[in-house]
This record gives sequence, C-alpha cells and structure tokens, in this order.
Amino acid sequence: MNRSWSRTTLSIAGAVTALAVVTACGGSGDDSDGGGTGTAAKPVTITFWGWAKGTKEVVDAFNASHKNIRVKFEETPSGNAGGYAKISNAIKAGNAPDLVSVEYPQLPEYVSQGGFQDIGKYFTEETRKKFLPQAVEQTTLGGKTWAVPFDAAPQAFFYRKDLFEKYGIAVPKTWDEFKSAAEKVKKADSKARIGTFFPDDPTTFEAMVWQAGAQWFKADGDTWKVNTTDGTTTKVADYWQGLIKGGLVRTDASFSPAWTNSLKTGGTIGYLGASWGGGVLGSTLPEQSGKWAVAPIPTWDGKPASGMLGGTTFAVPKNSEKAAAAVEFATWMTTTEEGIKARISSGTSSAFPAALSLRPAAKKAFDTEFYGGQDIYQVFEDGGSAIAQGWTWGPSMGTTNTTLKDQFGKLAGGGTTVPEAVKAAHDATVAELSKRGLKVEG
Amino acid sequence: MKARTRAAATLLTPFFVLFTVVMLIPIGYAVWLSLFTEQQSGLGFGGSETVFTGLGNYTAALGDRVFRDGFLVLLGYCVVYIPLMVGGALALALLLDSALARAKRFFQLALFLPHAVPGIIAAMIWLYLYTPGLSPVVSAMHSGGIGFDFFSPGGALPSIVNIALWEWLGYNMVIFYAALQAIDRSVLEAATVDGASGGRIAFSIKLPLIRSSVLMVVLFTIIGSLQLFTEPLILNTGSGSAVSSSWTPNMYAYTAAFSRNDFGLAAAASVLLALTAALLSFVVTRLTGRKGAHA
Amino acid sequence: MSTTTRKNPWLSKAAVNGALLLAVLYMLFPLVWLVTAATKDTGSLLAGDTFSFEGFDLSKNLSDIASYGDGVYFRWYGNSLLYAGVGAAVCSLICVAAGYAFDKYEFRGKEKLFGLVLLGVLVPTTALALPMYLLASKIGIVNTYWSVLIPVLVNPFGVYLARVFSAGYIPGEALEAARIDGAGELRTFFSIGLPMMMPGFVTVFLFQFTAIWNNFFLPLVMLSDRKLFPLSLGLYSWNTNTHSEPGFYPLVVTGSLLAVIPLIVAFVSLQRHWKAGLTAGSVK
Repeated sequence: MNRSWSRTTLSIAGAVTALAVVTACGGSGDDSDGGGTGTAAKPVTITFWGWAKGTKEVVDAFNASHKNIRVKFEETPSGNAGGYAKISNAIKAGNAPDLVSVEYPQLPEYVSQGGFQDIGKYFTEETRKKFLPQAVEQTTLGGKTWAVPFDAAPQAFFYRKDLFEKYGIAVPKTWDEFKSAAEKVKKADSKARIGTFFPDDPTTFEAMVWQAGAQWFKADGDTWKVNTTDGTTTKVADYWQGLIKGGLVRTDASFSPAWTNSLKTGGTIGYLGASWGGGVLGSTLPEQSGKWAVAPIPTWDGKPASGMLGGTTFAVPKNSEKAAAAVEFATWMTTTEEGIKARISSGTSSAFPAALSLRPAAKKAFDTEFYGGQDIYQVFEDGGSAIAQGWTWGPSMGTTNTTLKDQFGKLAGGGTTVPEAVKAAHDATVAELSKRGLKVEG
Repeated sequence: MKARTRAAATLLTPFFVLFTVVMLIPIGYAVWLSLFTEQQSGLGFGGSETVFTGLGNYTAALGDRVFRDGFLVLLGYCVVYIPLMVGGALALALLLDSALARAKRFFQLALFLPHAVPGIIAAMIWLYLYTPGLSPVVSAMHSGGIGFDFFSPGGALPSIVNIALWEWLGYNMVIFYAALQAIDRSVLEAATVDGASGGRIAFSIKLPLIRSSVLMVVLFTIIGSLQLFTEPLILNTGSGSAVSSSWTPNMYAYTAAFSRNDFGLAAAASVLLALTAALLSFVVTRLTGRKGAHA
Repeated sequence: MSTTTRKNPWLSKAAVNGALLLAVLYMLFPLVWLVTAATKDTGSLLAGDTFSFEGFDLSKNLSDIASYGDGVYFRWYGNSLLYAGVGAAVCSLICVAAGYAFDKYEFRGKEKLFGLVLLGVLVPTTALALPMYLLASKIGIVNTYWSVLIPVLVNPFGVYLARVFSAGYIPGEALEAARIDGAGELRTFFSIGLPMMMPGFVTVFLFQFTAIWNNFFLPLVMLSDRKLFPLSLGLYSWNTNTHSEPGFYPLVVTGSLLAVIPLIVAFVSLQRHWKAGLTAGSVK
C-alpha cells in the first residue's frame, strides 16, 4: 500500500483511539461525595472561569496557601465579549466549570434557566453578614442564595480636576448642575465634553435609573411586574435625550479606541462610571496621572444616592459536584484580606469589595497617585451606603440589554430617542418573558 | 468493475464519514433542537424544562421584527455589495487583461493580498480606520469637507460593504482574470484585426466568454453574504457603531443562543437562513441557466 | 498587441495603469497602516497620527508580545500552524480523493451524492457551531485539539474543486495505461492521479489553510484552555482585554501583523499553483 495512504489511515485510527481514551477519562469523576472540600492528602481540584484583572494572582495565592483545594484557572473573554456565551454553552452541555464569574445583571437569567445551583448550604449566615446588604440582596433570588458577591459597584463621577479648575467649573452635585457644567465645558472648549453616554453599555443608563429610584422589575407573588415607563425612568430618559440632542455629551462606545482617544486628547474630561473604573482610568491614561479626581455621582435632589454599575459575583453551575470546595474558594476570594490584596496589588484594580471589613485593606493596596492622593475609597464608601435598595434585575436581562444596546446605537444619528429605546426594550422584555411561560405584567 | 466500485468507495469514505460527523449530524441536531423550547413557570427561579413546541420557534423567529429586519439588511447589503463586487472585480480583471496593463504579476498579487488577512483582523484594522480622531482616512475626509460618520446608522451598511469589498475584490478578480487568460487568443486577435476597440472587445467578446465564472462568483458572493457574521460582530462589539447585535440573521441566531440563551430559537433561525440560502442559489442557477443554455 | 486602436482616451495606457494603481493603493493602505501602527506605543497609537514616527517602539512591542503570559503568543502561533497545517493537509487529501472518485468512477446515485456535497456549501458555519459543541461535549472532546481539528477536515467546496480539477488535468488514457500495466485502482490514484492534480491539491490546501487560520468562532466555542488557542482567538481575547487595559492595543496590532505574515508568504510563494487552481475552478 502507498505510504501516504497508510499514514492517513493511521492518523484517522489515531484520532479515533484518542477520542475513545478522552471519552473514557471524561466519564470518571474522582470526587463522588459531592460536597467535600478535600484534604491535604486527597485535594479536590476545581476549575474556575473568569476574566477580571488580577484573577490569576488571586488563584496563585490561594493555591499557595491551601492544600485541600487546587484551583485551576481558565481565563475566558470578558462576559459580553464571549464569556457568557461560553458559560451558557458549557452549562447546556453539562461540562461547565465548578465556579464562574457573573455580573449582577446576568445572574437572574442564569438562575431562571436552571444554570446554577443553590449554594445556601455552604454560604453560612455568618458569611452573609460580612457583605453589604445591597450586594446580598442581588444574589438572593426567590429566597435562595445563588452566588457569592465579590464587589459592590457604586457609581462615581471621575473628572479632570485641572481642567475643571482652569475653566472655573464647580463639581456638579445635582443633575441640573451637571447639565450647566456640561454647557460650560463646551463653551470653554468647543471640542471638549463633560462625559459620555455609552450607547454600547445599557447598564450605565440602568444605573442612572436605579439611582433615581425606579424599579424596572418586581417579583409580585408569582408574577413579574415590568415597569420601565414610570415617571422616574421617563425623567432620566428625557434628561439624557436632552444632553445628547444638545451635543453636550459624547456618544462613543465605552473603552473604545474613540473614547480613549478623546480622553487622551482632552476631548472628554469626565467619566460617569463606577468604583472599578478608577483603576481602569489610571492604566488607560498614565500620562495624566495626578490630574484626575473622583466625586460622588450627581443626584436629582442633592442627597446622596447611587445605583450599582456592574460588579461581579461567583456562582456554581448546576453540573458541578464540587460546590462545597468552589464556595470555599469563592468565599476566600471575596472575604479574606489575602484574597483582596492579591487582586488589587496585582496592578490597577480599584475594586470595591462587597465585604465590608475588607475595605481598609483594599484602600491600602490601591495606589492613589493617579488621583493626586485623594481618598477615593471614601467616595466609594459613601456611594456604597447610598445604593438604593429594592432594585431587582429581571430574568431576561440578555434580551432587555441587547435591545437597549441596539436601540442606543441609533441615538447618535438621531435614529431614535432614549425614551423610545426604553420602550422598545420594554416590549422585547415582556415578549421574551411570556415566550418562556412566565407570568408577566407590563 | 467491482475493483473500481470498491476503489471509489474507499476514496469517498473518509470524506463522507467526516461530512456526516461534522455537517449532517449537527444539521439534524439543529433541526431537532429547533423543535423544543424551554418553559418556566411563575417567577422562573425554579429552573426550566424542555418542552416540544413543534414549529413554535419558527413562528417566533418569523414573527420577530428584528429577525425580518435582518433579512432586509441582507437584501440591502446584497443590492449594494454584489454589483460593486462583481462589477469591480470584472473591471479590474478586464483592465489587467487589456494589452495596455503593465506589471501584471505585481498588480495581481497586490490586489489579492487583503484576502490573506484574517477577517477578524481586517475588521479590527478598519475599525481603527473608521474611528474619528484616530483615522487618517476620516481626518482626510474631514479636511476634504466630507463629514461622513461610519458609526452613524447610515454608515453601518457602507462600512461593512467596504470591509467585505476589501477582503474579496482581489480574490474574485483573480478568478475572472484566470478565466480571461484562458480565452483562446486567436478570437481576440481576429477582433483586433477587424478594428474593434479594447472596450468593445472587453464587453462584447470577453465578457460573454467568461459568463460561467461570473455566475459562479455571483453565487458564492450571495452565499457568503448570507453568512455575514465576523465583520459586523467586531463592529458591533468594538465601537459605538450602529451595527446592532442582530444586524444579520446569522447574528440574530448567535445573539438568540448566547445573549438570550434561547437555543431553540437560535436553531430555528439558522435553519431558516440555510433554507433561504438553498432557495436563493437554486433560483440564481435556474434564472441564469435558462438565459444562456449554450454556456 | 500594442497596436490596439486608441479611439477611446479612457483606455489609454496611463488610464488603465492609473486605475489599477488606485485599486492597489486601496488594497495596500490598511496593510501599510497595520505596519506603521505596529511600531507605536500605546499612547501614540491611541492619539492618532499613525503615520508619523513619533512613539516608535516596534522592538518593545515585539518583546512585550514575546514575554506576555510566558510567551503564550508563540504557543498560539504554533497551535495555528498545527491546526491549519495538519487540518489543511488532511482536508486537501480527503477532498482530492473524493473529487477524483466523483470524476473518474461511475456508481449509482453519484450525482445525487454530489448534489448533497454542494448543499453542504450553503450551510452557515456559525449555525453549526452550537450543535457541534453540544455533540462534541457528549463525546468528551470539548477543549481539546481534536474539537477544532476534526471539524476543519471537511470542505465541500474543495471536493467540487477537486472534481473539476480531476476532469481537467487527468486524461482518461493515463489511467487506462496504468491499469493495463496492472496497477491497482488505489495505486493508480496515488501514483498517477494525485501527482497530476498537484495544483488542485495546493489550491485546496492553501484556501483551507487560510480558512482555518482565520477561523475563530469555532475555537471560541470549543476551547477554554488558553494553551490550545489558535492565533485568531488569542488576538480576539487580547482585543477584548483592551477594554480594561489599553496597554493591550499595541499587542493586538503587532500580533495581527505577525499573524498575517505566514499567509502572505504562502500566497506569494505558491501563487503559480493557486492561480492555476482558481482557473480550473472557474473554467468549467
């Protein structure tokens, strides 16, 4: 027989054998007792998916200090860039890792699709008390605990202190002041804007709505009440529509080259973000170190109020048989000083821990040079305690946010308005919920 | 004869085994998936169960304006893109084939080069080149008094068409050029002697002779257009572009599966798209086949 | 040849070559941008002004790429070469064998079977990724080399091309002669048919190689271990990192430049073959 032919046959045979071997291996679980957390002699190995900066350092620190649990970290693309797609896939296929990172808005969706397991057994009352109540509220759905909160993400307003001083603009405390400040910025430098309405990131807008006191989703008995057309939401939507129409804010995508470019060139001198943005800004604009400052997010009535913008939790997919070990690791990451330090000193994370006792440690680990030594954690602290309670993310935020994002994409060209976009998202959400067989009003 | 049948079977087996494994079975599985949906009750925190829904996912997809709009986008895209692509590639090939062109090998290669750039990288490059403030193209356009915004709703289609043209124009040009080169030179010589101009030769002699290549390119361009995915995905995730997450039917399926976790709907959308592709190719081959049965 | 009449000024030599040159400029401009952008540090890259030599930092970008994540970039490079090289080689052989069989042998249901193959060209590949993932996870090969390698071994269009090639390049007499000499059918394919179809093989190989090299959706779905990533997926993941850390921009740009090079080299050095291949595909 010809050589190359037999080689092909061989390689095919090889492939088939390899398949068989892999399949055989995949089938046998070494940890059959489910909830065990392992021992030094017989450690439990868990797989963990995440993308946040500094995660690898945290895992290394954990592995170095623990003998009973080995964590295998696999870095995925960030959530909306493919990370969530991977998690959904893996859950569907029944081979998800033992622990995944999920942001607050996405959590109810996975839970309602049965993707995660109730970790109440391992998440003790004592652990629960360590966290900011607003964060725990977000991870408790239908009376069960579904995830370990990592950070709380109170809103904050980052701004170029030097330019605000140069233009003689006071830091706005209310949204009215914000608008007149925006006008002054534009007047002082026709190319500069006070901030950006991110069309690609509906959660920024939702945080504004949350801050204003709206409640889009409410579980009432066994019915979802969807209400996005209340007076509060309308007020916020109209406000932003006005700023966009007046050309007072930019409409670049968040963290896009365009946005970064405008920050670098002084075309954007403010950023309405959240606690975690503090570190990102610093690493984005090293050359502007010392020129930035952080202020509480403006409010409607001048009294402190905040929504939550992003923020990560750790959840255990339903197929994992190592929930106990996974939760132990997640608890370590979120509630111990070593866990927090490993992440924050790894570089530039300005994460604001949901665990109250860790804040001093986080504060100490963060280098505030970029903010001219300002105590930015104090600003986050105030914001954190002002996070409005009662906000619930709906069980179909994928649909809601996708629709909102697609609609916001048309804002810049005048293709739609913010209130119209919200209405479209509302309709899509209600349709999605009824398609799934849920009871919905709205 | 038996030996030959056995040989044919042996040569075909590897392909068909793999074809079955990576195409037929997944297609069958997609069709199967498209018949089911996840149902929940109450608030939904009790998890979900999979129930048979028949054609429910198909009616849901067809009833969704976003999905139908995706086909409109595709239609608009094809209307703009296909004439530009086929016309442009033909024009370039004819220019290259004309007696007047110099440095043919260089031109051919240079025009083909973009095809060697992975689509995802091409999209990332163009994303920069579309970004105001970063792009020399945009600033040149601005100083030339053209204030075109690639990220505006009106800019979505042109920006994608441009990337696709950039990637495929040279490729199709080479196909046409190869076909032109294969034309019997004596036919062209005769026409030249008869005093026909270069343009006349190109349009009345060369073009009809390569119509089967043109048909093939049109067909594959249509099929390729229907599968439009990577480039708009990059523009969707990486910019404030008006390219929405369900801009094309393919993206709709992707979003349904991975943002909305609705695998049944995603499968149904994919099946509908594949059917459309099959139908369109059938129509195109029939139409063009009838017009010139001699080819 | 140069005696062509020049009644039409649009067809003058300058116009023809000028138009071609303009097209070349359009094609090369983004590539030139990629080359100059790859020499920039983060600041200059995001400040615009790509064509100036300010912030020239190619060597730093290269060393950053080499050192980031213990040189994971070059691991990706190796993976891509493996996926694309092995995948395209096996795929081409399979396609050429099938195309040859379709052309040279008669058997029942042949054209129907061929029609089935052509239908395979129509199926949106992204639509198959999800069912393929679910199936792959059932047999336990998700997150292995096989999960990416096996699906790329199939290219229905390659079979079509190979059949056309076989018809155009292997005269029936050559096979008859071999048969009279007593060669077996398979032996005839490997010693006579395959060498004669070499340009077709190279064409299928090259285009499959490009397709696999560019493939990112399938690996995105199948792989979670970074060590198994191909370049396209690795660059994509870096690109998503730019959101939190713009220091990745130069890595993405420079990494993209390096990723394009092997394809350009392959196309330039093998152009004689693939051009012949495209001709065969179109002149039917």
